[in-house]
Amino acid sequence: MMSPAKRGIELESSIDNAEMEKADGAEVVAMPRAANGPLRTLIATAAMALFFMAIGAQLVRLALMGLSDSSISLSETVAQSFARPDIVDRNGRLLATDVEAYSLFADPARVIDRDEVIEKLTVVFPDLDRAALRKDLSDRTRRFAWVRRGLSPRVAQQVHDLGLPGLNFRRELRRAYPGGKLAGHLLGYVNIDNKGVAGIERYVDEMVGVESVDGATLTERPPVRLSIDIGIQHALEAELDDAVARYKAKGAAGLVMDVTSGEVLASASDPDVDPGKPNTDNARADKIAASTFELGSVFKTMTVAMALDAGLVTTDTVFNVTPSLTSGKFTIGDVHASKGPLSVAQIFERSSNVGAAMIALQAGAQRQQDFLRRMQLLDTLKTEAGSVAAPQLPPRWGEIETITASYGHGIALAPLQFAVAACALVNGGNKVTPTFIKRAPDAGQAQIPLVSAATSQRLRDLMRLNVTHGTGKQAEVSGYRVGGKTGTADIPGVGGYRDGAVISSFLAAFPMDNPRYLVFVLLFEPQATKESGGEVLAARNAAPTAGRVISRIGPLLGLLPTQAAAQGTTSTAFDASAPAKYEAR
Amino acid sequence: MRIVILAALMMTLASAVVLYSSNYDTRQLEARVAEQERVIEKARGDIAVLKAERAHLARPDRIEPLARKLGLGPASERQLAANPDEALARATAADDVSRKKGN
Repeated sequence: MMSPAKRGIELESSIDNAEMEKADGAEVVAMPRAANGPLRTLIATAAMALFFMAIGAQLVRLALMGLSDSSISLSETVAQSFARPDIVDRNGRLLATDVEAYSLFADPARVIDRDEVIEKLTVVFPDLDRAALRKDLSDRTRRFAWVRRGLSPRVAQQVHDLGLPGLNFRRELRRAYPGGKLAGHLLGYVNIDNKGVAGIERYVDEMVGVESVDGATLTERPPVRLSIDIGIQHALEAELDDAVARYKAKGAAGLVMDVTSGEVLASASDPDVDPGKPNTDNARADKIAASTFELGSVFKTMTVAMALDAGLVTTDTVFNVTPSLTSGKFTIGDVHASKGPLSVAQIFERSSNVGAAMIALQAGAQRQQDFLRRMQLLDTLKTEAGSVAAPQLPPRWGEIETITASYGHGIALAPLQFAVAACALVNGGNKVTPTFIKRAPDAGQAQIPLVSAATSQRLRDLMRLNVTHGTGKQAEVSGYRVGGKTGTADIPGVGGYRDGAVISSFLAAFPMDNPRYLVFVLLFEPQATKESGGEVLAARNAAPTAGRVISRIGPLLGLLPTQAAAQGTTSTAFDASAPAKYEAR
Repeated sequence: MRIVILAALMMTLASAVVLYSSNYDTRQLEARVAEQERVIEKARGDIAVLKAERAHLARPDRIEPLARKLGLGPASERQLAANPDEALARATAADDVSRKKGN
């Protein structure tokens, strides 16, 4: 039930409504609906006209005032840059990374005083190409011209402080190599757009992948893990530098490899290169993989292995090496002629050219070629860092070529390629595929035998003999049972070999009872110094250098030296198998 | 009918207000996201630089001279004890002596 008061209100409101309707009706009568039309149309038209006039006015204003500061037209193609994954060594230590850098560009249309800009910039960049910049800035239709890319924050601040209008910065990625020149040849380099051009950097572009970015966005790709160990690489480079100074050599090169996995733990070439600055100097080319050399007597390891593996000789087979050997118009002799016949072991130990030639002649040219091909020495080798320099072979393989090849002349190889073949000779006879990328420890490679295990064992014995009793004596490192072979090769010149110019090398493996690592050291044109006893022979310069390298890297490789006093026992006095390991990310 | 129109008008107004405010909120959130992304990118850039700097400081050709100055060098065969127990006893004895001297 509704209360009377409430009903009263309802009644009132209904009366109000009725009155209002009446009033409305009166209005309708006073202003007929038809009279509303033109007025409404007029109002709508006026509103629309105002609206369009506002738009028109704005357009005129924009046309007169020009573009505001925030919109810079980048209609010219701005070079894209690339975000690259990091490169780390086998223990995760950083070798190459992307960092943010500033790149300076000019907007010629906004440059007020061209001469002032050029003048002031020259103070910051003394090597600025003024003519080119003047030409770029003269073209007022351009809105974009690079001035200098990849500036450090400090230099960028200097330019900023000049307060020149029309200059601006873009943030870009730039490759940084925190190790400086460390492993420079191997890493290669990138171009101004951060794209890999040579070495591992190129491999990263081709096989791992880089991201095309606009600006300075870092990639999230996992780092590329090399087989290189920074510590070993440094030790090798330091010892090579030392050897160059000690023996007054023109250059040096060295390599440390795992003989079973084929991983390269260090690869160095002196004079070195800075990966931060593209190298175009031929004299600084990588001697390990990008150049070929006649390697000399280290090649006798192949000759002896061939004869032993084919069962043509045993280590005790005797050859009469006393008379020098004549083939056509060539006469082959030994530096220190033997007074009597030599066994194969003695030929190897004393590095007799005549002996090696006689072994090769017994095998014949065809068998020699077949063996070298089987050892991957006659075909071009490929690694992640690109193709290894192709071997240079004699155009015709006759008797004299068979003889010279037996002691490493007349056939030029990249040291890396030779080292790969030598790994197979000491690791039990299995084929090795070289790599600069770390292999998983359990990545079992297919075992492809190239020579028999027995041949490999004989070679190990011979190489050890060469160090204990032969030309490689100075390579011995107490506790590491080093084995090896010396090589002193003449360097070809115009119309023959150059006098007194040699490449002396030492091929070493250790520990010789079960070789795990191979070290190959080459010295280019060493001089006869007091240190080398007035000789240029490998026995006096390359062999001791290899010894010094091994004594430094042995502990880094986690190999405990065995004690001469208690042969065969391993001490637990310290554990070198746990070097500092930390991850880069 | 009038009420319906009025209600519709109110609803339109209300939804316009809601729309405007949510649009405004979205813009604010977007700005915050962009800001956060900038911060992340800056932090990542800083990490990259610091990583490179650490690697530069830890490079072997800087560490080696410092280590040599401290008398450190590659381990050699001579440093190994033929009999670790004896060596340990010797080292402990030497420690004891120096401790007594210290006292």
